[in-house]
This record gives sequence, structure tokens and C-alpha cells, in this order.
Amino acid sequence: MDPTHFVHINTGSTEPIYRQLIEQVKRRVAAGQLKAGDEIPSVRELAQALAVHPMTISKAYSLLEMEGVLERRRGLSMVVAAQHRKAQPTADRVELLRPTLEKAAAEARQLELSKAQALQLFKTILDEQAP
Amino acid sequence: MTKFPHTDKPTAEMDGIQLAYPKGPAVLDGLDWQLVPGQVVGLLGRNGAGKTSLLEVLLGLREPQAGSVRLFGQDVQRLDDATRARIGYVPQHNDLFDGFTAEHLLNYFRSFYPRWNQAKVDGLLSRWDIARDKPVRKLSGGQQQRLSIIRALAHEPDLLVLDEPVASLDPLGRRDFLRELVEQVLDRGTTVVFSTHILSDLERVAFNMAFLSGGRIVLQAPLDELLEEMRLFTGSPAELARLGLAPLKRTPLEAGRERVLARLPAGRELPAGVQADAVNLEDLFAELA
Repeated sequence: MDPTHFVHINTGSTEPIYRQLIEQVKRRVAAGQLKAGDEIPSVRELAQALAVHPMTISKAYSLLEMEGVLERRRGLSMVVAAQHRKAQPTADRVELLRPTLEKAAAEARQLELSKAQALQLFKTILDEQAP
Repeated sequence: MTKFPHTDKPTAEMDGIQLAYPKGPAVLDGLDWQLVPGQVVGLLGRNGAGKTSLLEVLLGLREPQAGSVRLFGQDVQRLDDATRARIGYVPQHNDLFDGFTAEHLLNYFRSFYPRWNQAKVDGLLSRWDIARDKPVRKLSGGQQQRLSIIRALAHEPDLLVLDEPVASLDPLGRRDFLRELVEQVLDRGTTVVFSTHILSDLERVAFNMAFLSGGRIVLQAPLDELLEEMRLFTGSPAELARLGLAPLKRTPLEAGRERVLARLPAGRELPAGVQADAVNLEDLFAELA
């Protein structure tokens, strides 16, 4: 797998880089883009591709392993764990979006936006970035 | 102070450093600092906070009025040659010899070091577009700075000190440079101290952040931990006091309110009048540096 396109990171965020990596890998596994047995880039490859401290990558990988998303093969390479054979049902994938939307909802309330105004923006953004 | 595993003897130890310039106030005022192997530490501080002075004291280039500095267990003023060869330094203003060509300059430095990675030198000279046969004074400021970085990386140091090294690198050049740093850490467990105002670069490569303010390192911790645990609380001083916070910084606001930077108290409900906002590195810099 090409490590430069495996994940991307945002600097300047309140979310630590290792957390961003974890959430992105989980979403890609949930969507079925990454499936059981798929090999993921090594700590070295990803640290170099992203120009990120290797400990940040290994911290993310260890936590993904503990949560059963990844598993360690004999040797050093990590693969997507066996139970993730196909994409998760839609309902489960929708749930993964909840924390982000809860945060957005809290901010919308602070800004005193109406439900319709906030939804309109979300719809516009979805349309803009549709492939 | 950090949770970083102290697996080995510290690379650098500074104790009770006191530094003032003639007739000036103290620049470093009882400063203590430790660096352990494999750590990449981002040094953050305002202009004039004394970052360059601190790095010069660390390297033994400037003698403090009081305090001790030890590198690899040796007094910095009495380093033996083998230990000296384990250190790399990119100063803010390059100290290259103007009349030499890049090639002569690097060959000259090569003679001082037991280890020298010529393949890395050749690769970087080509990638970073530095003419080997031009006198250094005819290179642009950016090319001189890149040459200074190559010189510091060539002997694969175990301690690498970078004082604003990337000011004249473009974003791609900076990324390339950060990759070199990551490779040093992966291959050699190099300890890196990195001072720069480009926070996005620090966020990537520096696992730990050190904030210099008032002549001391006021906080050093892994950035992950700071982002997860630190919050900016706003509320009335009475409400904030009830939370039992250990404030790192308090700022009075209008209408008798106060803003406090502190760790989020575990398992405590926030009173209705208190707001707690997550912080990013820029917020931490603004509050602590």
C-alpha cells in the first residue's frame, strides 16, 4: 500500500496526530476500503511518508491493535484484523460520524444557528466534495 | 516531568543555569532541562525569550554565570573529541567559511569526524540544488542554510540542535528536511532539539514540546498529552476556584471573568457558568510562551 496516500493529517488541530490516524484507519475499515488481511504501511514507511515522529505512528498502531482493528503478523507487519471481512452495516457507519456531528451541533448552538441553517451548510459541504 | 520512557542515560542535563548579559536582566534564570535519547523536542518561546542563548549554553558555546551542563555525561566545557563528534548544530546564522566551495567545505569538516555519510551528503546536495564548485559566498541565503543543515547531518550526530533551521526553505524543502530528521531518529535514535516558529513542522516531528518563558522551561510534555488534557477554562474566578484547577496561566477578562489554562480535572462536572475549550499548539504557544 502506498504510504503517502494511506492517511493524511491536519496540523493546527486540537486532535492529536495519533488520534487522527486511529480515526481514519477505523473509518476506512468500516467502509470496507481496508479489509481483513490487508497489509498496512510499516511504522518506518508511514513516519517517513508523513514526516511524523515514529513514536506517534507506533502509538496509533498499538491502540488499533488493542481495539481489534489491526493485528500483528508473524514478523513485524501489521494487517487488518480477521473479523473485518466486509464493510460494516450502514447503521454502524453512521454511528461513527456521531462524535464529529455532536461537536458541530454544539458549535451551531453556540453560534445560535437554526437547525435548517446548520443542515443547509452540511448539505452544501457534502455536495461540494462529492466525487 | 514527561512520561517519555527514560530508557537510557540523558543525552543532555542542564541544572540551575543562570545567564545574563552585561548590565541586562537575567536571560536564563535557574533553568533546569533534560533531554533523553530519541526525543525530538520542540523548543517554543517568544522572540527574545532566550532560545538561542539557551541552545548556545547547551552546546558549551556560551558560558553561564552559574549552573552545570552535561552532554553524554561529560561536562560541556571539557568534552573529549569523540563526544564532540556526536553533536550536530545548525545555528540561526550560518557560520560557514565564505571562500570555500561547498565541496571543499564538506571535505574539510569530514576530516574531523570518525563517521561521515557521503551518500547522504551527495543525495542532499543534488536534491537541495547546491552547486558543489561555487564559493559559499556566491550561494543564496537559502542555499547556505541548506548547506549548513547538510553539514550538521553528515556525521550522523546523536544530538542534533537546530536553531530556526528552515526559515529559507520552501514547503517542499522543509518536508524533505523533516523526513531526514525522522530518518535520523529511526536509524540512530538521535536526540533532536528543534527551535522554529513554524508550528506545523514542530507538530509533525516533535513528540515533546518545551516552553521557554521567564528564563525557565515552564513546561515540557508530549504534545499528544497536552492536547488531550489541557483546556482553556473561562468563567468567574469563584467558579473556576471551585474546580480545584492547577492553573498554568491565568488571564483576567472583561466583566470580572477569567481565563485559565489548566489540565482537565478527571471526572469533575463543569459548573454551568464555566466553559472549557480544547486547545491546539498555537493556543498553547500563546498562553505559555
